[in-house]
Amino acid sequence: MSRFGLRFFSALLAFAVFLVDVLTPLEGAVAVLYVVAILLAAKTTHREDILVAATCCAILTIAAYVLSHGLSSISSPALRAAVSLAAIAITTMLALQNQAATMRLAAQARLLDLSHDMIFVRDRRGIISFWNRCAEETYGWSADEAIGRVADELLQTAYSEPRNAIEKILIESGRWEGAVKQRTRDGVLLDIEARWALQYDHLGKPLDVLETLTDVTDREQAHAALVQSERRYRRMFDASRIGIVEEDWTGVRAALRDVNVEADIDGYLRSNPDFVRKARSLARIKDVNPALQKMLGATNRSALLASVNDLMSESERTFLGALVAFAHGEPFYEGETELVALDGRRIPVLFTITFPTEPEGDGNVLAFVVDITERKRSQNALLAAQAELAHASRVATIGELTASIAHEVNQPLAAIVTSGEAGLRWLRRDVPQLDEVASVIGRIVSEGRRASEIVTRIRAFLKKKPAEQDMLGIAEIVSEAATLVERELSKEDVSLNIEVRPDLPQIRGDRIQLQQVLVNLLINAAQAMAHRSWPRIVTLRAELAESGDLLVSVQDTGPGIEAADVPRLFEPFFTTKQDGMGMGLAICQTTVEGHGGRLTVESVPGAGATFRLTMPVAQRQTKP
Amino acid sequence: MANIPVIAIVDDDEAVRTSLASLVRSIGYEASTYESGIDFLNRQSEDPSCMIVDVQMPVMTGDELQARLVEAGRRFPIIFMTAFPTDAVRQRVLAAGAHCCLSKPTGGDEIIRCLEEAMAGHAAQ
Repeated sequence: MSRFGLRFFSALLAFAVFLVDVLTPLEGAVAVLYVVAILLAAKTTHREDILVAATCCAILTIAAYVLSHGLSSISSPALRAAVSLAAIAITTMLALQNQAATMRLAAQARLLDLSHDMIFVRDRRGIISFWNRCAEETYGWSADEAIGRVADELLQTAYSEPRNAIEKILIESGRWEGAVKQRTRDGVLLDIEARWALQYDHLGKPLDVLETLTDVTDREQAHAALVQSERRYRRMFDASRIGIVEEDWTGVRAALRDVNVEADIDGYLRSNPDFVRKARSLARIKDVNPALQKMLGATNRSALLASVNDLMSESERTFLGALVAFAHGEPFYEGETELVALDGRRIPVLFTITFPTEPEGDGNVLAFVVDITERKRSQNALLAAQAELAHASRVATIGELTASIAHEVNQPLAAIVTSGEAGLRWLRRDVPQLDEVASVIGRIVSEGRRASEIVTRIRAFLKKKPAEQDMLGIAEIVSEAATLVERELSKEDVSLNIEVRPDLPQIRGDRIQLQQVLVNLLINAAQAMAHRSWPRIVTLRAELAESGDLLVSVQDTGPGIEAADVPRLFEPFFTTKQDGMGMGLAICQTTVEGHGGRLTVESVPGAGATFRLTMPVAQRQTKP
Repeated sequence: MANIPVIAIVDDDEAVRTSLASLVRSIGYEASTYESGIDFLNRQSEDPSCMIVDVQMPVMTGDELQARLVEAGRRFPIIFMTAFPTDAVRQRVLAAGAHCCLSKPTGGDEIIRCLEEAMAGHAAQ
């Protein structure tokens, strides 16, 4: 009944009691019945209603007394009125006390409504007697709908363990905690974390169960997604053919912080190899995938779980670059290096190392490593083939040249010789045939001229200007030539030192021709040192001469050149080699002169030879 | 006149051709000159007493001409001359029946000796 209804009936009852009290001649404490009106008003649980009802009832009691008996005599009716008033007062007090207690309980119940957890109270049979606001909101059932229903049926609760086992725990310990699944009114399945508490009556008998439930559906889903992501990552890690190393660089970060040289970290790292070496051992390996184990010849991962120092050779150079990138907070660093396998083999690899940029990411540095042994091998084979081809074509060019020289020159010579013989025979005949003799002598002269013209033409051909006039960087030509002779030098066990000054000016000419000159000089140097016991070293230098020209020198540690041979060294067909044709250096000199340069040699017998190639530098565009 | 031997000379080099013809004539033979193998095949239907032929010639080389003659069943002594002698060429032409293979330049005596031997050998058969 509503508050208004309660007030109305309370007032009606009070009025009825008043009428009976005044109008009937009943001798008794009719006014005592006013307490019923007060109790009705108390039902509203409002303090004011109780006080208004009590005051009205008291006034009506006194009014009825005055109307019936007047003020003159104090007798038994007065006593009855007083008793009625006392009853009204006591009832009012009790109602007020009860109202205060109810208010307190209501406040406590409101507190339960404030909770973010669903809370309900059920008896041992499961019948719900309390249902908080969060339960209303989450499950979609209002308190009115839920109260009186069996909780497990209403929520279609599914337990992960047998229900009677749960009950046993609840009885024994008075509590139970666990995960359950429940459905909302709309049928949505929720992951619930449940906490039950058993309430006892004053005799210690189990009474009601207070269930506090937390909806962890989102949390469970996030967790499941995380687990799935972790599994996916793990699968990639395990199945990848790329080697993966998980490293912890926390120690490296701390060491960098300790040296405190943020201003010039690059300079510090470059000039402190000891620190770099220390950092290598501070970069700990946390995990390696099967691909990396296989690459390094490990049968299990534990053999590799030390520091990255163990995987690198003493002279490894890319770690410094990775360290600089790490110090600058860059997200990754890439490079090519060699790893050292467990059996000491060097494995050429390409790698990318990633540095997580979030704070606390230092413990999760990942390096991805690809074995490029095969690629290197085929690259070397390709270079060797190129070198062989260059060598073969060099030989073929010289061979072709001599073939065509032989043919071209021998034809007129043959004609001259044959004509001479024929002439002699015409003269020696019994009657010399002078007109025939004149004819053959004329031919001898013209064929002699023809031969000399052929020689001139060949010289002109060899001296002709280079076909290409490109701007060239000497460093590039040097490195190409070195690549081409790499195999030939290693075959002779000759080591090549290359010293090219940085920022050398460019030259103008034909890249292939100049490259071939260097190839020729390098191979000559290597062949000069073959079968010698002293150190076999070829030094190829490129620098700026005092004259401002570019100077490229090829120095060997061979036996040197006999002083008598030096002046003839560049002559065609001069050779000191068993099977040499004597054309190599002649062609080199012609090529260099064609480029406006000079090729000279200097040798101390017994102490090696040095060939010097001087080339004019290309004129730069200068502003007037 | 019919008993004067005719020597065919095949060489793409005019000077060589003419000087060889002069040499052949100086010792009393008749010389007929051809600037190529094709030229010889087109013009000379009758077999010469002997042929002096250059190995390196454009279009048809000396040994190709030799092969064509062998194929046609024409058998007369052939002397090869080359300005760029290699063992391979020498062996090839000798195997195919050449009488000798001379390097250019060769002395006249050598050429004449070869020529007379070739014709004597051929006559004896």
